Amino acid sequence: MRIGRELIPCLLVLIWLASGAARAVPAFARKTGIACSACHEVWPRLNEFGQAYRDRGYRLGRERDAPIQQSQFFWPMAMRTTVGYQWLRQTLVQTDAGPTTTQTGTLGFSGLDVFVAGNLAEKVSFLVTLNPPLASAGFLRAPQDGNLESAFVGLHDLFGSSWANLRVGKHALDLPIDEHRTITLTQGYNVYHFHLQNSASTFEPGNNQVGVEWYGHSELSRVRYSVSMLNTNGAPLSNNLLSAPAVWAHLQGTVWLEGDLLAAVKGGLFGGVSWNPTSTLSLTPSGGSPAPVVGTAARLRTARRYGAEAHLVLFSTVRPLTATGVIYLGSEDRDLLQGATRDATFAGGLAELVYTPSVRWSFIGRWERIRTTDPGADGVPLDVGNLTAVTAAVRHTFELTSRTEVAVHAELSRVQVQGAGNLPQTTTGLLGLDFAF
Amino acid sequence: MRLLLAAALALVSLGAFAQDQPPAAAARPPTAPDPERALRGKAVFERFCISCHGQNGDSRGYSAQWLDPAPRDFTRGIFKWRSTPSGTLPTDADLVRTVSRGLSHTNMPSWAPIGPRAVRDVVEYVKTFSPRWQTESPGEPIKIPPEPPDGEASRRRGAELFTQMGCFNCHGEKGKGDGPAMPTLLDDWGHKIVPYDFTGGTTLKCGDKPEDIYRVFMTGLTGSPMPSYDGQLSPEDAWHLVHFLQTLRSQ
Repeated sequence: MRIGRELIPCLLVLIWLASGAARAVPAFARKTGIACSACHEVWPRLNEFGQAYRDRGYRLGRERDAPIQQSQFFWPMAMRTTVGYQWLRQTLVQTDAGPTTTQTGTLGFSGLDVFVAGNLAEKVSFLVTLNPPLASAGFLRAPQDGNLESAFVGLHDLFGSSWANLRVGKHALDLPIDEHRTITLTQGYNVYHFHLQNSASTFEPGNNQVGVEWYGHSELSRVRYSVSMLNTNGAPLSNNLLSAPAVWAHLQGTVWLEGDLLAAVKGGLFGGVSWNPTSTLSLTPSGGSPAPVVGTAARLRTARRYGAEAHLVLFSTVRPLTATGVIYLGSEDRDLLQGATRDATFAGGLAELVYTPSVRWSFIGRWERIRTTDPGADGVPLDVGNLTAVTAAVRHTFELTSRTEVAVHAELSRVQVQGAGNLPQTTTGLLGLDFAF
Repeated sequence: MRLLLAAALALVSLGAFAQDQPPAAAARPPTAPDPERALRGKAVFERFCISCHGQNGDSRGYSAQWLDPAPRDFTRGIFKWRSTPSGTLPTDADLVRTVSRGLSHTNMPSWAPIGPRAVRDVVEYVKTFSPRWQTESPGEPIKIPPEPPDGEASRRRGAELFTQMGCFNCHGEKGKGDGPAMPTLLDDWGHKIVPYDFTGGTTLKCGDKPEDIYRVFMTGLTGSPMPSYDGQLSPEDAWHLVHFLQTLRSQ
């Protein structure tokens, strides 16, 4: 009886906690009560409101952003994945019996983002994105390793100005189109990851990298700039104050025209330089093979990327047809390329159309092309490594609230990479359910 | 005779034609919702507003149950933040201002990033939820006289008025929103309502300029227990009260 009396308050506390837990609202939409469609033109692609929210450090500015102003049960966590069927066909796959065409069709996951983000204080934000390993749950091409995709702390409105903000940690570089919010699932943006053949450079602006981002924006994020200083992913750490450094900068401006045909125009310039070590001291353990010694890499050589972008928002900013063109150029020092006698260059770009006639439907088409313009040595075929990619997708978001999103996504893409006499081609089809909670 | 018959038929036809005309068309106030803009505004509303204000503008969006204060119910055409006298409809500019500026200490953000056209369009759509916009025009915006000099005497007079007018009953003696009437206050929808705490936060819901505070005294916040003091408070005294309230904010 006595035990029973003691249990009652415990049960009441548990019931109270459980009722509170039911109100726990992970992720931004749950925190604000605003539908996902307010920030995403088509989820996860940001619209102007979402871009402004991100630039401000996940704040709406109503004196309700700081954790102390939130329900104590609020936990800013979300997840996103796609489950479905993927068909993949590849030509000219090398086998012992010679080149062949392969075809696989598998059911599985395309990836999993576990996402924790929000505010630590009024002007301090954070974001951690974990991609756990999928092992055999993926699309069965190869096991996928886990990764800490993002992990940063943001300090905002430094010196009382929206033009001075800082992110410290692993973050996405500010790109003409954010690859981490792409609405295509079988293809990202190949230009952000392109290297000339046999390049030792590991710098890819499309990858999140560890460093410091200094950025700023106008009140409504119509004008934005970003400068990131990084340690390049995958490069051997050089003997420097900042090892294997890279700098990336992006300036973007939007003019709101509000016309019946042309609703807005956005333009931008971007560019970056990475300094890649080309030699390193090594240590050979007994019975082993030589391994580079961290902090001894030297002879830094540059790889450069730069370009321009234009986005035309047609008909409406609310139900837009967005036409985007990006010109993306690059060059790499001859010391980064095997057998090169001079610096090598390439030219790439993409054209993309995204039509969102309603909050639930979106149609996407993209064409990408990358061409080597100078391979860096005479006698090297000019077309080796050239790439052409075409992607088309339809997305129907049938569940759309401030709590969850579920979309049916159908996509077909084809990538053609040119080699010496070969024209290997990869065709990927995907029919899946993309969902976030 | 034929002439008379023809004239009679013509009159009957004219009468019938006149009866075919929608009587409301002539009576429609110029500020009634513009159908074309309201149609565009529907798309804006469905993308940005629906989760709180609901499909029918009745504040029954799927997030509404979690929000405090509750989102505005547009179906009754009652709006707090106006430049017009108590009980009247707000002007389009008032609604544009609220949507663009947002309301601090609530879940209503500033929607300025979506652009002025989308804001104007959604205001037209919001006006379609209440029949009041079909028959009534907004009130005439109140005149705000120039602000007299702020000073010790003005603030002291404002403090006297704060007591005389009974402001402390709701807002508390120190303006913390904890007056004796506080526990009993409800808005027109029956939601519990908390008087404004002038000492908390750095921004005011109504706007941060002295004119914004003055405007609230004289228009009241229709739908809430905050009345209009127009006629009870002279413009000069209203400014004294503004000066006093600003001292509460800085404490």
